[in-house]
Amino acid sequence: MLRSIVLAAAAALASTAVHAQTLKIAVLGPMSFVQGENHWAGAEMARDEINKAGGINVGGKRMQVELIRADTNEIQSVSDATNAIERVITRDKADFLTGGFRSEAVLAMQEVAMDYKKIFLGAGAAHSKLGANVEASYERYKYWFRVTPVKDTDLVRTLFAVLNTIAQQIRTELKTDMPKVAILAEKAVWTEALIAAVQKNLPAMKMEVVGTWQPSATATDVTAELSAIDRSGAQLVFTILSGPVGISVGRQMGERNMKAVAWGINVEAQKEEFWQAAAGKAQFVSTLDTLAEVELTPKTVSFVKAFKARFKKAPTYNAGTYDAIMLLKTAIEQTGTTNADKLVPVIEKMSYVGAAAVLEFDKRHDPVWAPGKNTGIAVQWQDGKKVPFWPPNVKGMQPFKMPAR
Amino acid sequence: MYWLRWGWAELKNEVVVLPSRTLVLAWAAALLVLPAVYDDAYVLRILTMTCIFAIFAASWDLLAGYTGQVNFGHALFFGAGAYTSALMSHKLGITPWATIWAGAAVAMLFGALVGYLCLRLRGSYLSLATLAFPLIALGLLFAFPDFSGGELGISGVRRLMLTPTANYYIASISMLAIVFGLWQLADSNFGIVLHAIRDDEVAARASGINTPRYKLTVFAVSAAAAGFAGALFAHYLRVAGPSTLEVALSFQVVIWGIFGGVATIYGPVAAVFILYPLTEWLGSFKALGELRLLIFAAIVLLVLLFMPRGLTPWVRDKIETQCPRCKQRNGAWRSVCRLCGAALKAQVAGAQRLVGHQ
Repeated sequence: MLRSIVLAAAAALASTAVHAQTLKIAVLGPMSFVQGENHWAGAEMARDEINKAGGINVGGKRMQVELIRADTNEIQSVSDATNAIERVITRDKADFLTGGFRSEAVLAMQEVAMDYKKIFLGAGAAHSKLGANVEASYERYKYWFRVTPVKDTDLVRTLFAVLNTIAQQIRTELKTDMPKVAILAEKAVWTEALIAAVQKNLPAMKMEVVGTWQPSATATDVTAELSAIDRSGAQLVFTILSGPVGISVGRQMGERNMKAVAWGINVEAQKEEFWQAAAGKAQFVSTLDTLAEVELTPKTVSFVKAFKARFKKAPTYNAGTYDAIMLLKTAIEQTGTTNADKLVPVIEKMSYVGAAAVLEFDKRHDPVWAPGKNTGIAVQWQDGKKVPFWPPNVKGMQPFKMPAR
Repeated sequence: MYWLRWGWAELKNEVVVLPSRTLVLAWAAALLVLPAVYDDAYVLRILTMTCIFAIFAASWDLLAGYTGQVNFGHALFFGAGAYTSALMSHKLGITPWATIWAGAAVAMLFGALVGYLCLRLRGSYLSLATLAFPLIALGLLFAFPDFSGGELGISGVRRLMLTPTANYYIASISMLAIVFGLWQLADSNFGIVLHAIRDDEVAARASGINTPRYKLTVFAVSAAAAGFAGALFAHYLRVAGPSTLEVALSFQVVIWGIFGGVATIYGPVAAVFILYPLTEWLGSFKALGELRLLIFAAIVLLVLLFMPRGLTPWVRDKIETQCPRCKQRNGAWRSVCRLCGAALKAQVAGAQRLVGHQ
């Protein structure tokens, strides 16, 4: 009897000790969707890498990383997202939080995380408001950091930077001073500010806007728009597309043998399945992206290769949970504590070399946009492969190609 | 002392005599006592959300269940309340204690407007027309992003209270008060007229009932309750966004209504109290993962298959019987009616069999 009591007590003590040596990180994402899958996959890679190396050194004590998978269902319900974050904080006793995707839901989750003073490393929502909260009310929102992507206004800076590079190539190859640009944006609210910005800034960038076409986001036939773009003599089609229309544009530009080349946002073209979906005709379609097998940082190539080997697909930007957790590890080892208030000033001053970018934070706790450090990349579909071509000075980038004339 | 005596008499003669009422009393008491015995922040959050959605579901039932105006766009009123309260509180700096009433008032106006525009529509035509209104509202919100916050909505909305317990009490007491109020309304002469309009509007009009006035009133009252729920939602989550107007929310309330049992008020409330925590509970099992929505759908389908009138009427029929003479309800264990003394069990069952053979 006595023996069994002693054994039980020892087991209880042992389990407490194991628990105490674990650092719990909650991964919040819409797990039924590709965004959540990537949140989880990136976090798993970080966890396994850290635990294999012995864990995180917290003031001389090694702590293993334990992940908590939290399905926020945020694409369908904002209240589900807040319930999920409350559960991982109060029930699962998460020490840190990462993930999030839909800005409206992340804003609501941010409130809960800040109530509990938990460090929340965002890896999906781009809206500026999340960072604006930090600036407006620092003491409350200082626990929020956005790891990826760069905020929405910085994404536009990348779009224009790449556009400028392509325009320069068009000027050289086609011997023209004012490249003609057609704007092809899906009919949606989110595209309107972007269209206005493109129409306003292109003349100053010595480009001529020949027209704006706005098909439905779900259009399966864009023949009318592409015919008109052909007739306008456009050399570049600036795409602002998030819906399935991106596939139709890619396929039909190829079918029509268009001489104009497409650049911009085309969410469908970021996916691995795009080439097949566009019936192998989306030659030279290019889009904004985040990760590829290029040396954005010394860690990028090995991360992307390891991710592909493990999950049989390329990572999306939501796999930035990897960088978030590795950054957290560095900050904890630097300070020797898991205390959020002590970690915040350290993360603020960090310059962390991640897999997707060199992460430095501004006063809004947004990642600093800087060429050579953190801009995102541009990719172009060439003969069935997604080929990265921008920023041009990065090792591994390949030339941007134009249709033969 | 008089009130104490009156309360005791009511409790003894009107509540404890019926199992359904005893259950409701126990449930209400449990809701009010819960934070004192189990002060878990997560549970309180789930129950706070449950209470808010229970108001929303009950408001739908008054309109769709009692009056037969099956609204497929009820989220319009929820969203109108949420946005009005959030905008007034956030942009004008008015205390949320005032703006939640303003949210309900604006939702009521929306209700009257929708009711007026749909006065001549019935059945599926009415349902389809109402489906369009939240979509129009969404379009307007997106058309004026500087005012509405566009696709992000209004965030950083002020809280009503700071602690989870206080927020829980705001939601639960509001829910109990509104649901009881709606139930009383539905149980009054007004409710009988609504029944008449649903069952045969032409006959109701022929009886001298001003049916358009009743329909407009019920649209407005139902919308006001939904708007109040929306306002509570916005101040609790601190966000009022397009999700408050989404079609999914409009259909969610229809599921709650039909699952719990329409034209009861308490039915949809019971449905929310079962289904909302159940979905959340299923989500806490990592093994179930993303299957929780499938399980949820299966449970709803099974209940509707075996309980076609909804869950609460089925349960009520099991624990209570209706007197064939005076139509009053009695506990299932009684053999004679508590009011008129008529036989309840064997004779009624025999009569039912006889009717069946004919």
